[in-house]
Amino acid sequence: MMHFLTSSFQSLATQTGPSFWLPESVSNFAPTVDGDFYFVYWVSIFFLVLITALLIIFMWKFSAPEGQKATSQNDHNLILEIAWTGIPVILSLMMFWYGYKGYVAMATPPSNAMVITAEAAKWSWNFSYPASGTVVSGASEDFNEIRNALRTGDLTAEQAAEREAKVLEKAGLHVPVNTPVQVNVLAADVLHSLFIPAFRVKKDCVPGRIGQLWFEATEPGVYSLYCSEYCGQGHSAMHSKVVVHPSQEDFDKWLAVAASYDEALPFPELGEIVWKRKGCVSCHSLDGANKTGPTWKGLFGSERKYTENGTLGSAIADESYIEESIRYPMKKISDGYTGQMPVVKLTDKEILWVTEFIKSLR
Amino acid sequence: MFLLGGVFALLVRTELFSPIPLITPLFAGSDAGAQADLYNQWFTTHGAIMVFLVIIPGVPAALGNFVLPLLLGAKDVAFPRLNLGSFYLWVSGAAFFVYVLFSGGVDTGWTFYTPYSTSSPTAVIPAVVGVFILGFSSIFTGLNFIVTIHKMRPKGMTWFNMPLFLWATYSTAVIQVLATPVLGITLLLLILERTLGIGIFDPQNGGDPVLYQHFFWFYSHPAVYIMIIPAMGVISEIIAVHSHKRIFGYRYIAYSSVAIAIFSFIVWGHHMFTSGQSTMMNIIFSGITFSVGIPSAIKVFNWIATMYKGSINLNTSMLYGIAFIFLFTIGGLTGLFLGVLSIDTHLHDTYFVVAHFHYVMMGSALIAFVGGLHHWWPKMTGRMFNEFWGRIACMLVFIGFNLTFIPQFVMGSLGMPRRYYTYEDKFQIYHQLSTIGSYVMAAGFFLTAFYLIQSLVSGKKAPMNPWGGNSLEWHTPSPPPLENFHGVPSATDPYELDQFDYDPVTGNYSSQSSKGLA
Ligand code: HEC
Ligand SMILES: [Cu+2]
Ligand SMILES: [Cu+2]
Repeated sequence: MMHFLTSSFQSLATQTGPSFWLPESVSNFAPTVDGDFYFVYWVSIFFLVLITALLIIFMWKFSAPEGQKATSQNDHNLILEIAWTGIPVILSLMMFWYGYKGYVAMATPPSNAMVITAEAAKWSWNFSYPASGTVVSGASEDFNEIRNALRTGDLTAEQAAEREAKVLEKAGLHVPVNTPVQVNVLAADVLHSLFIPAFRVKKDCVPGRIGQLWFEATEPGVYSLYCSEYCGQGHSAMHSKVVVHPSQEDFDKWLAVAASYDEALPFPELGEIVWKRKGCVSCHSLDGANKTGPTWKGLFGSERKYTENGTLGSAIADESYIEESIRYPMKKISDGYTGQMPVVKLTDKEILWVTEFIKSLR
Repeated sequence: MFLLGGVFALLVRTELFSPIPLITPLFAGSDAGAQADLYNQWFTTHGAIMVFLVIIPGVPAALGNFVLPLLLGAKDVAFPRLNLGSFYLWVSGAAFFVYVLFSGGVDTGWTFYTPYSTSSPTAVIPAVVGVFILGFSSIFTGLNFIVTIHKMRPKGMTWFNMPLFLWATYSTAVIQVLATPVLGITLLLLILERTLGIGIFDPQNGGDPVLYQHFFWFYSHPAVYIMIIPAMGVISEIIAVHSHKRIFGYRYIAYSSVAIAIFSFIVWGHHMFTSGQSTMMNIIFSGITFSVGIPSAIKVFNWIATMYKGSINLNTSMLYGIAFIFLFTIGGLTGLFLGVLSIDTHLHDTYFVVAHFHYVMMGSALIAFVGGLHHWWPKMTGRMFNEFWGRIACMLVFIGFNLTFIPQFVMGSLGMPRRYYTYEDKFQIYHQLSTIGSYVMAAGFFLTAFYLIQSLVSGKKAPMNPWGGNSLEWHTPSPPPLENFHGVPSATDPYELDQFDYDPVTGNYSSQSSKGLA
């Protein structure tokens, strides 16, 4: 009976495109979750219709002018009480059971899963592919720009799609289709949460802990990824994309391209790529406007006042100052700012490029 | 305060009418970051005011303090001074919130989750102090009610012929007294964390942010029941009196209040299914969560059965009562989705949750408050209000409410996360419907304010018993004299409602047997 019910509710949910209630359904879990959803949904609809109908019938049948007496003063009926206690008990036990089964599967990643690490920071994502040591960014800033340009009409839909595809060549959460993927989630500063609606998965990114979720994508395509735990100013801008590649080879090819810097470029340009890829962009502007962090314009060579261990100090922003600021952001806190800068691990080369980039912004 | 909280709600809804900045630039200038910050302060302020200043004290303190002594035939609550104290505390708590508004706002969300709240540059500490003080206000009210109900019942009133509103306030008071101190301690720790960095919640100092969530929800889940149980009590009175029929299943309703109060302490973990707490813990909390649903279902069915074969006056109070049953049913049923582990993984922190708790906290608790306000308005003020406009306003609120929040269920399950300043275009239509709904609802509330003020100024004089109720408050003049009753009343059977005759001239219900008044 139970089995029959789940499978029939699942069959309701086997479409992969978005429906009225639910988004695309493209992971191994999605059919189960949707089946559970529709089970609860139809039970709810049944009770809502029942209760509403009773309310309306009673309102209509028993409404009477002031002063009329009720035709009955009956105030108990044991059978009814047992029925409307017992039936909800049974139904909720079933719901609990389905939810439990579905959840246990979600909570236990298979041991052969490919591992990706997603690190959330205010307000960007970084996805690292430990097997190849590559880190790519979530490119939230780019996606926001494209979205805005689309809205203002600066980009047509095709141009936007093209730009997006270009960004995704070097950014986003990429996975091969039909492969179990385990995502370890981390947070650099405050709580965030990794949410991929089309896969029906979500996990909070808790600083100081490693969380995990897993899934197996079942349909190649590009899907939305959100931060769903409130994290401040850029919370709603902290979105990215999941790309499901049609094959492992396709995925490997992408990874090789994403990993590379075009080292033929001049250092400042490489630094600009780092600035974007590593999320510095969300706090440090290039145009003199101070955001969460100080602008990089004119930073190099200027005198910086800061607090270190509670005492004031000052220094000229030279190469070593910048390197220290990046490696140990909490050490010296510049005047006028709070210690909101996360630790972003950059390679020596990347730090060199960023420094050259900052130098170029006189 | 409700007005203030409502204004912030409307600001939020108006901003969300479009995914691009709409009205924040008017206040925050052209800097995109400042605009987002402002939006975040708006929804935080809305949430904090509505939860801590309006709904938690709403039914118990505002209605309860007036009605409770009357229902008991008493002069006043047991400790009138404590009561006054709790009012002053409420005022000072409110003052802190007003201060926060003028000192740059707070942007942590009403939940004050760490480590965001320990690092946010906004006025977190004054806001937290405000909530801390309000907590004491709530504890005092609770204490007062427990003692009053134990000690001041009139001759002949046993536990099982108390009006159900008293059962509800009693259950609520127990939660207030037991759970609120935990909130107080949590907030103190939060302040210490912020000022001294003691390292209990902030991982940078060896703390654990998830611990904060456990502490916070240990209070804040029961707090949902501080809001909803007294509301259910109000509804039990309204449905019975305006159907002129004995309440159905008295004992089941009474026990279910107690059951909800007890269960409410052991389900807090269902707010944290995706937080990274252990799988085992999630399973246990999911299981227990369903147990809270059962007593709620029992109540709904008993209310409906009370209406069966009644003589229903579809006046404003009763319409609110019926609206409550409908809205609470939706609130409760959508809670089932969130209790199911697999579905909650998808729905957590989306607009589905936002819609769900608005159905419970606003559609149920606040609607019951407004219904109760109408039910006891003639008693409190001695004036009748305009029934025609009352019904119109109730319809506006009802329609507006559903229009506001049903689209939020849909976009939530489609994946729209909550607390978002901007969103993907595909969600816009739902946001627009929702915003329009909120305006309709606001119109309803303004209309209510108008005719209630009009009633104060020039409303018809209210008779002693305009609805035909038999609990003790209907046996004293409207408004009650200074000592509430002339003489010492003895208990009546609050649900013996068919003994009254209606006098169309005075609009009064008088009883032939005039039973129960000493
Ligand atoms: C969440 C916002 C944020 C992000 C992301 C961020 N920073 Fe910062 N950054 C700050 C803040 C705030 C300060 C000033 C406080 C301090 O000195 O730590 C700062 C300071 C700095 C400074 C020193 C400037 C000075 O005036 O002393 C450098 C250099 C710097 N950041 C580089 C980077 C780089 C490189 C990245 C990207 C890998 C980055 N930041 C990402 C917020 C951020
Ligand atoms: Cu985030
Ligand atoms: Cu976020």
